[in-house]
Amino acid sequence: MNKRVWQATVAILILAVVLTGCGGKSADQQSGELSGTITISGAWALYPMMTRWAEEFKKLNPKVEFDVSAGGAGKGMTDALSDIVDIGMVSRDITPEEEGKGAFWVAVTKDAVLPVINAQNPVLQDLLSKGLTRQALIDIYITGQIKTWGEAVGRPEVTTPINVYTRSDAAGAPETWAKYLGKKQEDLLGLGVFGDPGLLDAVIKDPNGIGFNNLGYAFDNQTGNPVAGAVVLPIDVNEDGKADADEVLETKAETVQAVATGKYPSPPARAENLVTNGPPTGLIKAFIEWILNDGQKFVDEAGFVQLTKEQLDASMQKLK
Amino acid sequence: MSSERRGFRFWLGRNDVVHNHPSQNRNNLRKIKERIAGRGFFLATWFPLAVLLAIVIALLVRTWPLLGVVSPWEILSGQTWKPLQGLFGMFPFIAGTLWVTLVAMVLAVPPCLLSAIYLAEYARPRVREAAKPLLDLLAAIPSVVYGVWGLVAIVPLVQWLSPRVSGAFGFLPFLRSSNPTGFSILAGGIVLAVMVAPFIIAVTYEVLRSVPAGGREASLAIGATRWQTIKYAVLPQSRAGISAGIVFGVSRALGETMAVLMVVGNVSKVPSSIFDPAYPLPALIANNYGEMMSIPLYDSALLGAALVLLLVVLFFNIISALALRRITGRTQV
Repeated sequence: MNKRVWQATVAILILAVVLTGCGGKSADQQSGELSGTITISGAWALYPMMTRWAEEFKKLNPKVEFDVSAGGAGKGMTDALSDIVDIGMVSRDITPEEEGKGAFWVAVTKDAVLPVINAQNPVLQDLLSKGLTRQALIDIYITGQIKTWGEAVGRPEVTTPINVYTRSDAAGAPETWAKYLGKKQEDLLGLGVFGDPGLLDAVIKDPNGIGFNNLGYAFDNQTGNPVAGAVVLPIDVNEDGKADADEVLETKAETVQAVATGKYPSPPARAENLVTNGPPTGLIKAFIEWILNDGQKFVDEAGFVQLTKEQLDASMQKLK
Repeated sequence: MSSERRGFRFWLGRNDVVHNHPSQNRNNLRKIKERIAGRGFFLATWFPLAVLLAIVIALLVRTWPLLGVVSPWEILSGQTWKPLQGLFGMFPFIAGTLWVTLVAMVLAVPPCLLSAIYLAEYARPRVREAAKPLLDLLAAIPSVVYGVWGLVAIVPLVQWLSPRVSGAFGFLPFLRSSNPTGFSILAGGIVLAVMVAPFIIAVTYEVLRSVPAGGREASLAIGATRWQTIKYAVLPQSRAGISAGIVFGVSRALGETMAVLMVVGNVSKVPSSIFDPAYPLPALIANNYGEMMSIPLYDSALLGAALVLLLVVLFFNIISALALRRITGRTQV
């Protein structure tokens, strides 16, 4: 009995030592081959892009392991600054306070936050033909003056209430959405739902719901159409009272186009950043450099928007 | 010869009473061991208390900058939480925590007690052996799984339920619904009730089983029914233990984060009905952990929220310990 216990203890200790030995990161100077583990956490928005990059980078450097998790931009920032992960994905602007605490960041790609409604919305046709102006969205999300879908589209006879949803977790999407409406995340009205997928799910389940999602979640990756049950709400950018052809976003490709050409306002379009605690070195630096160069080829197919050459060059310059 | 004998005894006689010397050594060693063990147990007992103290001190130190700007009373009673505007009112979060916990306990305690009584007193051994591990399994499910279950099953259920209940019992303010979705205190309470149930059942069950058989047998012998026996012979003796089990459940409910966060709606407004959304303190901390670095005083405020939560739990535990002492007239719980 006692002997068994001893054997088990020793076995566990050995296992623990062996597993610990698996960590560590290094760029092997002699062979030039990269090896080690890169841990990444943060924005839900950048997560699909990052897993793609990790996959491709691993094909070139088989000895590099990745550990990527999503948990919101705030988590990415906090994790990176407290050295829990190597790279934090942050889908909002970096504040001066964060920079003061040592946050080093480079922009790597671009996407957008899109207002999303349920496909069974009571005034769907009106919304798709007219869109909503920024002011109407402010009245829904900030002041709460517009309370019914009828009021939103100018048909007072429709009294179905608007069920406003927002994100509960501190994240890039609500921050960017609030920035578009001239406020901060804490000012957004609505029921707080955790995570990008959670918010989308809440809107899909509620015909009277309105929410907002990152580009990568609002559209189905396979088909390029909005996720079943959801519709992207057109924003009447030029405020002419109707949703113009380039304001109606029916597919992912159209949306990417609208973001790239600047037809879709920014914010809610925004740059996606990678954050490290102080300027990166070694393997981490090599990975980020790869993202800014060869990694950009995968941006289009993953449904993100490429930064302009000047922006990419600026990021590269910053890394040096 | 004598020397030979002595040598012989020396090797064989280590336990021999003739030799006082080695056996006395042994006694000393025993005493030292005893003392070391006693000290070890003492340290093991006080270490968690020291950790608690360390946590309180650390939280206080980190909350201090906030207390310099906003008074504690303003933090505890303030209604508005907008850290960027310097408003740090935590009252909606405290109220949300208490509401969700209260609803969970109202839902959980009666069936848990009945179930524990059944398992301890009525159930045949085979039923008991089958049911106990299943209940323990319920305790082992990760809370995020409960959260997903709540999102998929309970939130739609509450959404279906709320207009109906509100229509029939709307004259009671706490059953009036103005929230068209299912994200509500009730949804959080239901999920929490299921989560704390195995703990309350396990503790109550053990307490009931530990009541000596004598009273039970005497009661049954004079012709009392099973329920009379339970009511008059078993329950009075286990009141303190059962209360302890419920307190344990409440403490867990107060601190549960992930599962509640996913279904409770997270709106920082003081709720007035079980169908209103709420925002409990643990959810506040978990949701905004990421912003800690971005805004001055924000980390201070969040750690303040943690301190408030800790104080709420401590306050509740102390009150219930005192109440229990009143009930049982004993100092031990």
